[in-house]
Amino acid sequence: MIKKQLLTLPSIFFLLILLIFFYLLIIDRNPSEIPSALLNKNVPKFETTSLLTEKKFISSDIFRGEIKLVNFFATWCKPCRDEHNYIKLFDNQEALEVIGVNYKDNPQKAIKWLRELGNPYSNIAVDKKGRIAIDWGVYGIPETFIVNSKGIIKYRHAGPITKKIYKKIIFIINEIE
Amino acid sequence: MVPILGNITLWLSLFFAIFQFFISKKNKKIKSIKIGIFGLLACSIISFFLLMFLHVVSDFSVLNVFQNSHTTKPLLYKISGVWGNHEGSMLLWILVLTIFNYFIYKLYNNNNSILILKTLEIQAFITIGFILFTILTSNPFETMSPIQNEGLGFNPILQDPALAIHPPLLYIGYVGFSAAFSIGVATLNLENNNNIPWHRYMKPFVIAAWTFLTIGIAFGSIWAYYELGWGGWWFWDPVENASFMPWLLGTALLHSLLVVEKKKSLQSWVILLSILAFLLSVLGTFLVRSGILTSVHTFALDPSRGIYILIFTAILGSYSLILFGLKSKKYFNTNYFSFFSKEGSILINNILMVIVCSTVFLGTIYPLLIEAFTNNKISVGTPYYNSTIVPIMIPAILIMGIGPILSWGKVDIFRTLKKIFPNILLTGVITLLVFLYYQSYSFIGIVGIILAFWIIFNNMTLLFRKKENLSSGMLIAHLGIGLLILGITGSSVWQIEKIIRMKVNNEIKIEKYNIAFKEINQIKGPNYIALQGSFFVYDEKKKIIAKLKPENRYYPVTNNFTTETSIHTNLLGDLYIVLGEGNIDEGWVVRIYYNPLVAWIWIGALTIFLGGIVSMNYNLKQIRRLS
Repeated sequence: MIKKQLLTLPSIFFLLILLIFFYLLIIDRNPSEIPSALLNKNVPKFETTSLLTEKKFISSDIFRGEIKLVNFFATWCKPCRDEHNYIKLFDNQEALEVIGVNYKDNPQKAIKWLRELGNPYSNIAVDKKGRIAIDWGVYGIPETFIVNSKGIIKYRHAGPITKKIYKKIIFIINEIE
Repeated sequence: MVPILGNITLWLSLFFAIFQFFISKKNKKIKSIKIGIFGLLACSIISFFLLMFLHVVSDFSVLNVFQNSHTTKPLLYKISGVWGNHEGSMLLWILVLTIFNYFIYKLYNNNNSILILKTLEIQAFITIGFILFTILTSNPFETMSPIQNEGLGFNPILQDPALAIHPPLLYIGYVGFSAAFSIGVATLNLENNNNIPWHRYMKPFVIAAWTFLTIGIAFGSIWAYYELGWGGWWFWDPVENASFMPWLLGTALLHSLLVVEKKKSLQSWVILLSILAFLLSVLGTFLVRSGILTSVHTFALDPSRGIYILIFTAILGSYSLILFGLKSKKYFNTNYFSFFSKEGSILINNILMVIVCSTVFLGTIYPLLIEAFTNNKISVGTPYYNSTIVPIMIPAILIMGIGPILSWGKVDIFRTLKKIFPNILLTGVITLLVFLYYQSYSFIGIVGIILAFWIIFNNMTLLFRKKENLSSGMLIAHLGIGLLILGITGSSVWQIEKIIRMKVNNEIKIEKYNIAFKEINQIKGPNYIALQGSFFVYDEKKKIIAKLKPENRYYPVTNNFTTETSIHTNLLGDLYIVLGEGNIDEGWVVRIYYNPLVAWIWIGALTIFLGGIVSMNYNLKQIRRLS
């Protein structure tokens, strides 16, 4: 004969699971935030050309000194357009340099796009074949990374920057300083 | 004007649902309940078609239409766009709920009034919950100003015929379980000495839900197969799991209902399953629409919606499960039965289905559990599911082959063996032939082929012999499962994948096909432009057998790119080509798959659906005889 207490097990189990869901709903979390395998590691080395100046873009020369915000973008990516205003806000931030990586894009279109929307990037690396993005572990643009003054990746955000993410990134930058 | 009408009908349906709830609670006359039932049905039909009208005429004063539609969209997708978004899909959900509500009411007669009234009360409560949810957090009739001239457009990968009918079929499945849930909970509320055959009323709903869930999942799968261009048809995405879990419990429920019918055993178990199957359906909705998990299906990330559904699930779940804890004891009995009997095989099938369901459930929520307790993020992928579920499914399918042959109660083992011996022999011979043909010796492949033909032969012989007094709907559905396993085994064990860069006039060989890349052209569709590759497929004798034209589409309205695969299909296998990125100088990245036996997955699913319909028809006739 089955004990009567056993019959209450489904309800207890069910409520426990709901409690966990409830906790996850109310805490401040972002399900699309994925930890990067490169976190606290050096930025991958790469060489390419600069979009606007067409000079050489050598990563080891760029990633030192100031804190860098690295933003992967393309003109064909709609969320990139949406987050562009936040990228411009980062440009106003002191002691922070914003680096763009133009991902699988047409350079002419990208230049036109920046002329139209404004250019917040101090330097833009051309990633025509998506090779740099692979090294950085990017799986969909836009993606944004923070690199400290020693060239070490401290933060990664996948997806467009929203108000909440913007505040978080500012907080992290201040913390690194 | 129309949006206001829509809002009015939505509120009216809430009113009728509340009316139905209180009237059936007080056991008033059936005439007054009728008002509630028909009012609710009429209002939900009207509000649903009003939204469809708004989408068809592209009324961009409505936020929902503005966000999901566009004037250049083909008519079919203007219509399917109604349920291709969160708010509209809730209206569809409510519509299906009220239709099932009506069918429950149709079962009413003087002998079962206590049960049906209680069922209608619970069904009304569920309906109230979903209508309130729609009105409070996701009203599709919300208007906006200033009025725009053009909408934002509809996600192009959803503009597809299979995906147009996938949600309605799936919702019939999910919501069908609500009827089983309501009947289960109503049964718990019955006094001890009622002799109402509640399981007979539950059965047609379970069959309907299960049948439509099967075909709904199959359509989603077909869509993923040719639209996503990933070469597969199942990815263990949380949302796929959310539909698979009720399906598994539904399978267990369907079979245990037979035991209740014949042996009066497993009654409380059936009630528990009916409760859990629907709770899992609702929980699936929660997982998808709260944004708590990321998945390819994620609708809208709005935490207030998540909190609402969670609270609603908590009320439904704790009420039903606590009631189960308190009242199910009276449905217990101590009829033990033998292992070698039909009921024994069904019981084992039940246990295995529940284990598979728990395994899938654990895999789906494991990342959430880990995050809640340790703050780490992990993801659970295909290897987990393959290595846990396949071994549990193997015995389940072996038993499934023999279950229908076994008789209720005591079984004469010798006679049964004599019956299945020719099938064992046939299975062995065919398996040998398959391997001589394919010349490939994967262990899982052997097991899969044996299982598939084991099921196919057993059910074929029973179908044609037809003297065993077995339901032909069941045999057809079982046969469908056999065909399904054949397709699953073939496509997952012997898939060939080639990813290469091809220039125009290049050739490649895959399996027995020679494929030549002939040309690439820009073409224009109704609301997209596309780059279309042209591939000629030759057989071994250099005879042309197909021209495949995969596309890369660009939808300017939503600024999306999609890939359209091109597939040459026959019963032995699919040749599947996806055009990737590239240019004229360096060539294009082309992904070519040879997917053996995939067509049998779809044939199998259709056969199961057919079996379900036959069986539903039969059961409805029986119910009519009952009243």
